[in-house]
Amino acid sequence: MPHSDQPSARALAPEVRVVKYGDCALLIDGLTPGVAAALREVVLRRLHNDAVRVVDVVPAATSLTVMHEPADGDVVRHHALAALDDSLAFDAEQGVTVEIPVRYDGEDLPVVAATLGCSVAEVIQLHSNAVYVVEFCGFAPGFAYLGGLDQRLHLSRRTSPRTRVPAGAVAIASTYSAVYPRESPGGWHLLGTTTMTLWDATRNQPALLQPGMRVRFRAMS
Amino acid sequence: MTTPHLVVERVGFTTVQDAGRPGWAHLGVPRSGAVDHASFALANRLLGNEPTSALFETSGGLRMRLHAPTTVVLTGADAEAFVDDRPLAACRPQRITEGVVLRVERMRTGVRSYLGFAGGLSGEPVLGSLSHDTLSKLVPIGLSDGATVELAATPERGGREGVAPIGLDAPLHPAALTHALLSPGPHQAWFDPEVLSADRARWTVTAQSDRVAVRLSGHAVPRRLAGEVPSLALVRGAVQVPPSGELIVMLADHPTTGGYPVIGVMNPDDVDRLAQTPTGSSIVVARQRT
Repeated sequence: MPHSDQPSARALAPEVRVVKYGDCALLIDGLTPGVAAALREVVLRRLHNDAVRVVDVVPAATSLTVMHEPADGDVVRHHALAALDDSLAFDAEQGVTVEIPVRYDGEDLPVVAATLGCSVAEVIQLHSNAVYVVEFCGFAPGFAYLGGLDQRLHLSRRTSPRTRVPAGAVAIASTYSAVYPRESPGGWHLLGTTTMTLWDATRNQPALLQPGMRVRFRAMS
Repeated sequence: MTTPHLVVERVGFTTVQDAGRPGWAHLGVPRSGAVDHASFALANRLLGNEPTSALFETSGGLRMRLHAPTTVVLTGADAEAFVDDRPLAACRPQRITEGVVLRVERMRTGVRSYLGFAGGLSGEPVLGSLSHDTLSKLVPIGLSDGATVELAATPERGGREGVAPIGLDAPLHPAALTHALLSPGPHQAWFDPEVLSADRARWTVTAQSDRVAVRLSGHAVPRRLAGEVPSLALVRGAVQVPPSGELIVMLADHPTTGGYPVIGVMNPDDVDRLAQTPTGSSIVVARQRT
């Protein structure tokens, strides 16, 4: 698809606002979910081409935060506003897709199925049929919030979080799915486990899942 | 010839810190690094080190034995510190010989001291940094009683003994924060304009404060809107307001994203001083009018 046919972030979200976030950051807020990671690439390219040093550019659910040197507030703002009108390079067809094999043996499968009034097999099918996008990372290094969860699986978090969720646990909460990169406390519903290594600080790319990547879960028998 | 090193005999409340891990926040990795940027920078400047050299950040209880001659400096909080049994003066680089015992015992005022060595501490970085990130548990140099820590071998660089190249009027120790004026945060609209506008709004530093954040208690913070905000990136100095009504001010090991509304942002110099303001202290917090 030609680049110019791609929509801009502003076309997708006309109400988007760009505001100062303290002396060292700019917040681009009100984005359509899933757009922040693509907008990050556009902003980074613009700032790089203009030799503006940025410290971190962090996508989140509906926003992108650009952390900059205190003196660069105006130039960062200029490029952020311009980037909103640039076409976004969504690589829907040819982009990186990570396939994650899952053993659907999660402790919460029966409860999730009962809550939704369906069978465990249907929960597994709903979860493994979807194509997910890494909207942003947070909570822990390599913890990716995966948008694209089937609406029927949207559930609020467990009322009481577990003190220990194992590394590789595949889980859902709210509108997201995720894989716990390492053992930690957690309040999401556990559907299964994978043996893939989500986070390894010694790798060239420490995070398996990075903002903008696509993800599929494949059920293992 | 063995590598220059020291042996930690008693860790106390101490971590290894440098300038942290910029550039990884989009993968969920906190910035981390020294909490009080100014005192950290001063220590390295006094030693003639690179501005990002690793050193010890301590709240006391630290004792170590040096196994190489080097130059040491202490900045930050006013601490009872000793080279063998002689007091170690603040902000004065001092040559020390092999075998001496260094101690940073108790903070007289302030919260954190920085103990630096010529050339800095040496180790295998994680994501480009030697900082101990207490939230993510990234610990390139784990400290425990008996741990060996290597010193970078740069004997010719570093510190003129007895010289404190800061102005005579410059304070030796950072002052505690007493007043903070917050710049507007992304979620101003969530709060009544009167909230944090009265100049009598005094807040208290609670014991639930650490390298991740300082928690301030003292007032109800009524909200106009209910629920949570969509997760957004957090920055150093961002002031979150959870439903409990405390103010949570983000420090070095803050999480990369959060779901509570951010009422304002504390400026970087005030964050340095907040990091040196002990539990129980009183701070007047107001926010700029928009």
